[in-house]
Amino acid sequence: MSPRPGFDPASLIGGLLIIAFGTLLLLDQAEVLELDWDYFLPIAFAVVGGILLASGLAGPPRKRP
Amino acid sequence: MTSPPPTPPTEEQPQPQPPRDDDHRRWVRSSSDRMIAGVAGGVGRRLEIDPLAIRITFVILTFAGGLGIVLYLAGLIFMPSDDPDESPLQWGLARTVGAGLLVVAGLAILLPGWAWGPGIPLLAVAGVVVYLLLRVLRERDTPSAGRVAVKIAIAIALLALAAGGFVAAAAGTALGGGIAVAGLVIACGIGMIAGAFRGGARWLALPALVLALPLGAVAATDLDVRGTWGDRQFVPSTVTEVAEGYEMGAGQLRVDLRNVDLPPGRTTLPVSIGAGEIQIMVPDGTCVTTEADISMGAYQEPFDGEQGGVDLEIDDDYPVAPGRPELHVQADVGLGALTVGPREYVLNRHHQGWRSDDRVRDATPPRLACEGRP
Repeated sequence: MSPRPGFDPASLIGGLLIIAFGTLLLLDQAEVLELDWDYFLPIAFAVVGGILLASGLAGPPRKRP
Repeated sequence: MTSPPPTPPTEEQPQPQPPRDDDHRRWVRSSSDRMIAGVAGGVGRRLEIDPLAIRITFVILTFAGGLGIVLYLAGLIFMPSDDPDESPLQWGLARTVGAGLLVVAGLAILLPGWAWGPGIPLLAVAGVVVYLLLRVLRERDTPSAGRVAVKIAIAIALLALAAGGFVAAAAGTALGGGIAVAGLVIACGIGMIAGAFRGGARWLALPALVLALPLGAVAATDLDVRGTWGDRQFVPSTVTEVAEGYEMGAGQLRVDLRNVDLPPGRTTLPVSIGAGEIQIMVPDGTCVTTEADISMGAYQEPFDGEQGGVDLEIDDDYPVAPGRPELHVQADVGLGALTVGPREYVLNRHHQGWRSDDRVRDATPPRLACEGRP
């Protein structure tokens, strides 16, 4: 099964990761939770790594015909 | 009606190559037996074990502190695919760098207290720069020197733009605009999801990360530079002034206590700075105890050595003889340093001149001063 033309799974996964990351940062700024380096660095590496991995596995975006 | 003869392969249309016959003797990911990236399929084929058993093992190890995920990602990095046409080089590079970053993140979670120094983020930034340069230089079609130069110039311009955005996001967060910056990050994520159904919007990850990474760094450092900026020196003459404390946004905050006559018992000096250095000058023979939170930076004093790093919690507390005057420094530093000691040490610390200064060398350490010994 191949993804339908025009759909880019890497953008979907990257978007979800970015929203999760942004929500975490928003909660920190709203003082609901408190980020420190022990949490922030692994999360940042995981988000950047996840986006790159998703792009690498998905390959180049498939444009709509 | 006869069917047309098969079209011979051309250079423009490379035909997919089948996996090699000796793949069962090589550590390669399987392109035919794969659930995610073919790691378990490749390992099972190499070890002549049912790949299902390998997959179950990965799942079990995942519950052992995430080890299964780390091992799977390591397989993704070090095992090439058995399909040479699986993806162009640049996407293989993205996959490798991405999996490598996930392994680093996994190690940081598995090994609590792993020494995170400032070198790790710098290494990550250097890795991204090298990745971008490799992506430009290692294209399939050999580009002309002029095209490479233009691409490098564009990459440098983009990096400069990103650096500007990075600094602006950090400054905006440190000045109290963190919620707005976080909102922009979420908006970029929503844009990426919407763009995923219209051909993709991966480029939005770059502005999102340019905003999110400095925001997170400022949040983790607990950096708040609202307040006074610059260099300030305070020479209090009463205990009331000392007890009221001092606070600055950024710069150098110096408190010279030579004119204060401390009463018996504890006198607390609260001091805080968002970014910069706090310097506390104490007369010889003063019993000083220190309690400090330093998000990123150093604690400097001449007797017990200096400490540096992230999330530093200083607790220099000594037994204090009854009736002895005690100065209790209570400091909060976001990014920077706290320096406590004799005047000559504080002033000459950067030049190392204090090491040969008799007034520092012969000064009474706080521990002895608190016990009432000379």
